[in-house]
Amino acid sequence: MNLSALARSPYASVVYVAVAWLVLVPLFSISPRYLPPLGTVIADARSVWPDLVAGFWRTLVETVLGFVAGTILGVGFGIAFAYSRLLERALFPIFVALQTVPVIAFGAIVVIWFGNTIMAKVVIALYLAFFPVAVNTLRGLELADPQRIALMRSFGASRLQLFLKLSLPTALPNILIGMKLAVALSIAGAVVGEWFGDTVGLGVMLLQALYFEQIPRVWVLIIACGLLGTLLYGVLAILERRYVWWRPD
Amino acid sequence: MSDPQADASRSAPLPHLQMVNVWKRFGEGERQTVAVRNVDLSIAPGEFVTLIGPSGCGKSTLFSMIAGLLPPDADGSVLLGGKVQQDGQLLGKVSFMPQKDLLFPWRTVLDNATLALEVEGMPKNKARARAEALFPEFGLKGFERHYPHQLSGGMRQRVALMRTFLFERDLILLDEPFGALDALTRAMMQRWLLDIWAKHRRTVLFITHDIDEAIFLGDKVVVMTARPGTVKCEERITLPRPRDGDIVTTPEFTSIKRKLLAIVEEESMKTFAAAS
Amino acid sequence: MASRLSLVQGALPVFAALAILLLVWQFGAALLEIPTYILPRPAEIVATAITKSGLLGDALYVTLVEAVAGFLIGAAAGILLAVLMMLAPPVEAVLMPVAIVINAVPSVAFVPLVLLWFGLGMASKIAIGALAVVFVVLLNLLAGLKRPEVEAINLMRSFGAGPLGILFRLRFPAAMPQLVTGLRVGLARSTIAVIVAEMMGAYSGIGQVIYQATGQVDYLTVWAAVFVAMLGSLALYGVLVAIDRKLVWWR
Repeated sequence: MNLSALARSPYASVVYVAVAWLVLVPLFSISPRYLPPLGTVIADARSVWPDLVAGFWRTLVETVLGFVAGTILGVGFGIAFAYSRLLERALFPIFVALQTVPVIAFGAIVVIWFGNTIMAKVVIALYLAFFPVAVNTLRGLELADPQRIALMRSFGASRLQLFLKLSLPTALPNILIGMKLAVALSIAGAVVGEWFGDTVGLGVMLLQALYFEQIPRVWVLIIACGLLGTLLYGVLAILERRYVWWRPD
Repeated sequence: MSDPQADASRSAPLPHLQMVNVWKRFGEGERQTVAVRNVDLSIAPGEFVTLIGPSGCGKSTLFSMIAGLLPPDADGSVLLGGKVQQDGQLLGKVSFMPQKDLLFPWRTVLDNATLALEVEGMPKNKARARAEALFPEFGLKGFERHYPHQLSGGMRQRVALMRTFLFERDLILLDEPFGALDALTRAMMQRWLLDIWAKHRRTVLFITHDIDEAIFLGDKVVVMTARPGTVKCEERITLPRPRDGDIVTTPEFTSIKRKLLAIVEEESMKTFAAAS
Repeated sequence: MASRLSLVQGALPVFAALAILLLVWQFGAALLEIPTYILPRPAEIVATAITKSGLLGDALYVTLVEAVAGFLIGAAAGILLAVLMMLAPPVEAVLMPVAIVINAVPSVAFVPLVLLWFGLGMASKIAIGALAVVFVVLLNLLAGLKRPEVEAINLMRSFGAGPLGILFRLRFPAAMPQLVTGLRVGLARSTIAVIVAEMMGAYSGIGQVIYQATGQVDYLTVWAAVFVAMLGSLALYGVLVAIDRKLVWWR
């Protein structure tokens, strides 16, 4: 990667934003109520470093578990919908409706169901991650070109072979699109899930920062959440480049 | 070097389009590739010129330069009506039809046809009225309110041609417009295009890779060499007009075809040898 | 007539599935003697929604006004930014990094910030709703605007069209499907972001009702509020689907 490509990469944008932050705050004397100086935010992060690392780790685990479970479930339902028109017509609109349910509202109920365990957050993250993956899996499977299907049939391919060698590879780029949407949603699910009674996690710290009106701390946590999202998104992007580099035509 | 404008004025009538020592190179230094070299070409007003050459010979580059999409290198110039055209000046002066029909899926057939007129700033109803008059002649009567996805390949191509015709410029540039059509539809479209041309008498430059098509349509066939492309030879076609489908079986047609085929094959072999 | 018939046939499996689901829920919960605080029966939820319809209706109204206002502001800002970035590449070079970085943060993380900035009233909810929409719309629309192939742009240029002509006659219509996708995702996000913000601090709204009911261990009201919120966002979604059909009729 040469220098100009590096300068235009998304990673570089983090540097640009940091530089802009350093320059603009004193330049326009922005009130710390809106945006504290970067130095203050860094100092605040260092003052709670162990809590921050523990919280980051906890939220990461909740997010990943929920995301993985949601993806497996989503792909499963996507495949089921693609192969059963009746199932799709019966359940798909219900899922669309359920998607509009502010699942966060159930935070307290989910805690009653699963206890005040990591499971409660995982379930909320799962619920949010599930839908985009299911929709995109269905769309991707529908992309398989009838002429290619006919070609595979002429080779004597079984239904399973047709699925594994044609439909699934055709759908994979779309499934990844769904997974990228799901990552951001599972983080939101995990963070909000923590608001309903927990002691460790980025969401817990965010709630405390709100109660004590600690603006620098809020910024620390916003950055931590952004980092978490970028990290998981980056892992997905690497996996995609390595294993799912083709595009449906 | 002689003055091209003086040269042109000697041979009456003044050529409509003239290319003088046109070059196009891409890249710098070691990596430089020459797409088009030393092209001299002139097209008289009302003339139907067809251009053939092996694939990858720089036809598209030449085409983009005539359309004004790509400036030629500083060595040469493109003249329209005897005037040298600077960078970008040709834009809006040549009506242009690319290989793909490029119809806009969100516009009806009628509104696709009037696209160029709308860009020129003509009021919508006036543009529509003008386009509607052409529908019977283009075999599209009754399809005004259809959307492109409802049409067959041949019909889509006719809509694209109508769009090009409605953008009333003296020079029409067609880049393999029938390349994607089946042989029967293509033969029909060729005869139909000659009818339209006979009626409207525009100057046409028609790019193709089909020798039969080039001879059948053209007053003059220009053959290009393998890459870097330049004009290999020009063959004047004196077959009588109006031409009909039977003409392709006449001895005159066959002898021209044999001659051109030998030249094109020689150039194609060069491309093939260079590639392997 | 035929289309109405097929609409009924299309809806039939949904209603059947919904009926089965509700029946299993209703009688399964009764049969297994699941207590109401763990899982209330559907009939109880609907009954609560009806008896508390005054409270829930007022709250839903506030939430929808906030969500729609936030959505409209965010969508307008996103469209404006995308057009600006399309016409002026330097603007894209400067603002895109900021957009990417902010977009990487889940919008719920900004809830405390907007509450501290804009207070507990409607302004903070509208702000978070707008924030949840603006980047989805921006990124989707910009990708759509860049979609037309070079040949189509060249064709427009050969007709003598300038950047504005190409933008309005080619790029914008071509980007419509992606814009609509952005709007759809944005609307769902803005509703949820508004409800989350209301739960963390507000004077009214569905989120606040849920928060208070949770505090009073009144789970039936929580379920009823969620049910009402679902009806509200479904209605918004329906409006958007209708707009989608109008904007992208050619697919």
